[in-house]
Amino acid sequence: MPLSERLIRMKEAVRRGDHHQYRQQHVPMLTAESDVLGLSWMQRQARLITAMCEAEQVVIQPDERIVFTRTLPTVPPVYQNEDWACLTAERTLHELGPISNICADWGFVLSQGLLGRRDAALATRQRCANQPETVEFIDSAIETIDAVLALAERYAKAARAMNQGDIADALTHVPAHPPQTFHEALQFLRLVHAVVWLGGHYHVGLGRFDQFMWPYLERDLAAGRLDNTSAEELLAEFFISLNKDSDLYPGVQQGDNGQTLTIGGVTPSGEPATNDLTLMVLRVARDVSMIDPKINLRITADTDLDLLCLATELTKKGLGFPQYSNDDVVIPGLVAHGYALEDARNYTVAACWEFIIPGKGLDVVNIGAVSFPYAADTAIRAGLRAGESFEEIMERVRHDVQAQVNRLVGTYSDLLLPPAPYYSVLMDGCLESGCDLSRGLTYNNFGIHGACSANGADALAAVQKLVFQDQAVSPQQLLAALETNFADNDTLRCLLHEDGPKVGNNDPQADVMLVTLFDMLAEACEQIEDNGRGGIVRPGTGSAMYYIWLARGHENMREPAVGATADGRKAGTPFSANLAPAPGVRVPGPISVFQTFSKLDYQRIVNGGPITIELSSSVFGEPESIRKVAMLVRTFAQLGCQQLQVNSLNAETLREAQFQPELHQDLIVRVWGWSGYFCELSPEYQEHVIQRDFYEMG
Amino acid sequence: MTPGIVFDIKEFAVHDGPGIRTTVFLKGCPLSCVWCHSPEGKDPAPQMMHTPRGDRIAGKAYTPEALAVYLNNQVSILNANEGGVTFSGGEPLMQAAFIHSTLDLLEPVHRLLDTSGFAERHVFGDLVRRFDMVYFDLKLMDPQAHRTHTGVSNAPILNNLQILSQSGVPFVIRVPLIPTITDTDENQRAIADHVYSLPGLLRVDLLPYNQLAGAKYPMLGMVYALHDLEKHPVNLRPDLFLSKGIQVLCH
Ligand code: SF4
Repeated sequence: MPLSERLIRMKEAVRRGDHHQYRQQHVPMLTAESDVLGLSWMQRQARLITAMCEAEQVVIQPDERIVFTRTLPTVPPVYQNEDWACLTAERTLHELGPISNICADWGFVLSQGLLGRRDAALATRQRCANQPETVEFIDSAIETIDAVLALAERYAKAARAMNQGDIADALTHVPAHPPQTFHEALQFLRLVHAVVWLGGHYHVGLGRFDQFMWPYLERDLAAGRLDNTSAEELLAEFFISLNKDSDLYPGVQQGDNGQTLTIGGVTPSGEPATNDLTLMVLRVARDVSMIDPKINLRITADTDLDLLCLATELTKKGLGFPQYSNDDVVIPGLVAHGYALEDARNYTVAACWEFIIPGKGLDVVNIGAVSFPYAADTAIRAGLRAGESFEEIMERVRHDVQAQVNRLVGTYSDLLLPPAPYYSVLMDGCLESGCDLSRGLTYNNFGIHGACSANGADALAAVQKLVFQDQAVSPQQLLAALETNFADNDTLRCLLHEDGPKVGNNDPQADVMLVTLFDMLAEACEQIEDNGRGGIVRPGTGSAMYYIWLARGHENMREPAVGATADGRKAGTPFSANLAPAPGVRVPGPISVFQTFSKLDYQRIVNGGPITIELSSSVFGEPESIRKVAMLVRTFAQLGCQQLQVNSLNAETLREAQFQPELHQDLIVRVWGWSGYFCELSPEYQEHVIQRDFYEMG
Repeated sequence: MTPGIVFDIKEFAVHDGPGIRTTVFLKGCPLSCVWCHSPEGKDPAPQMMHTPRGDRIAGKAYTPEALAVYLNNQVSILNANEGGVTFSGGEPLMQAAFIHSTLDLLEPVHRLLDTSGFAERHVFGDLVRRFDMVYFDLKLMDPQAHRTHTGVSNAPILNNLQILSQSGVPFVIRVPLIPTITDTDENQRAIADHVYSLPGLLRVDLLPYNQLAGAKYPMLGMVYALHDLEKHPVNLRPDLFLSKGIQVLCH
């Protein structure tokens, strides 16, 4: 269904940034007052929410039915620099510091309303009146609830004054009370979710949206208050509103904001969970075609082909989503890592790929990456220099992978998580137990990704075959060529590149190396019994920005940039991203790629990270193609792979967009775990997207 | 048994037949169409290609066993998805013996032959009978024009088309539309006239000239003669086929 004129106007206004005119120059300053009052960290975090909510100016635009426009461009610090330095000295902060990349239990919060949560807080306060720490947390949490309610009230009043009775009524009722309608539920979510961002949290996901929102929509449809068209209109407006503040969210590149939602799958009791809202989300995301929200679809080997066809229509838009997760392997994998079956069935996908449990997970899913190319390359060079056997080289790799894991976990063993009273309101049991979420939830695991695996495996396979088995290359030859970046031996580089076994071809030799690298990672993670927070360490397969960082070097990587590698790759060339063949490697296509990656043991490798395939946009040219791509997605699940990203790319269009960005402002591409506007990416990421190999059929 | 020379294998070849298919491209073609978009398919022998990413050899020797092992690894996937295996080229009939031996080893799966139809009649007849579907190229009906632009006579091709039509194997006629050469009204009308009554005809595919066709020629040290056509619009006349009651698919 094409968007209505009202929605097109709204979408264009958001893309133009019309609402930026409301952004304020100054944000509230907290530190001086907090210092004078001698506020604790907890109290300061609550103060932050209050101050931000109070300083927010009401913006209601004529077309809107779901309101809230953020007007405060930045989030102020809660401590002066020196105090912050003291507080965090000798401790490790995760990324920017604030709690991020977890998922609230939105369904629970909606069902209680903020006043319901407030009552729960008061009950705990009464019960624990003699425990100062609990009282302080509860009072802080209540302060944040009151701040949000006051903000809603100001919005309601302004709406009333503007004769926008619909909005005023909704905001009089929500978020204080449980929503009565789908419209109120969307308004509730918009406001309560936006305030999480206002508190400095980021990668704030929307969880299993089709599950917790469906009861509200179902009731409206049954009562005749909404039909499909009017419901889609509301949902589309909600999706557009999620794009308003994207440029204010922190991220490596714009678009990397983790505003994801997850649909499909099974219920906690194991029943099929797909409903009419699942389909509606796919249709509306297709029609809206903006970078937010990023959609994850949970499937199994038996998922209905019609659902996959609808999802493929979204892929055809070139947005880079939906991303698919295969319940058949994800759920048992989580159970094998200590997740209760009901919780595992209730997983949602975090900002990029990782599987987390709404309301219950305080997993820090990405504490860093193991550089497989570094492990392989240092082992190859040192081993060959020392005249070692191939087995001895692999032993070096094992040690290095283990050392990298231990170093990452060691750094994070003194992880400092700031208190988060408002986010705690939205989690399971924090108000009931009187414990802030930073002290831990049901799941407190870490995640580490094995990055750029294809290049690591290819380098090892090339050495095994060409140096040890075929003896086509001598160790000295290879060492000299690597050290000089193949300067005067391009023949050798071509030999390594063309004749070395390569990941993605269902080639036994290369695939054994791949599986071995991940087994080494899993083994290193499994040896860590306690990550310092009572959790374990989950190994994963994502690469995020590492495919560039590891190749070019980056201040955030302890491992230095890797030079030329034995797979015939020259220094500086980006590595493979996530699970994909190395850039420039020829593979017959997606079936072999799936067969290769189906060999990983996803019961051990459970932190996510998708197989990434690029399809030329010409693939979608024929009427039958949608169905064929849908069958391909089903094949991915039937082969027992874990996660899949399918992108539709047209290299020519991308080139054109580089030279004439003004003509391609709306061009969206998938970068690693997220999608962004191509023209807003930095040149090196643009270049990588263009160079990415894709299967051009025809 | 001499090995086959394969210059490419493509999985999920969505334009090469029904369902999810894997296409094997066999090297060597007796024609030399001026518009050919896979020039590396012409020479039967492996040859060096200088690509922007470095040199690579186009053409790899496969024994029938090796190719069958690779394909049999995928058969269950292809069968589960309404697809199968396509043999294309180049001209696959040039390596008919290799294909026969490969088919002998292939597990049951839908088989499609994509051919220019240029081969000796018994070679053609013996091979097509082993397929479930054939994609048959028809380029130019005028004998002289066919000779000029493809280097060979179209008489054996039209003969083989009769054999195909009598074989009972369903087939699709594929017409590459090259501006001013094959896309003329006369040629499209002549093709329609020739094929509309043939038993076994499923439909006609009209394939507009691919603008990127010329890119590979310099990598092989070859010269591409059609550069001036690159911006030329293609004359698509599905109506000429539809009016004869032929199903048409425009790509
Ligand atoms: S028949 Fe096909 S492969 Fe042979 S020259 Fe003509 S276009 Fe090229």
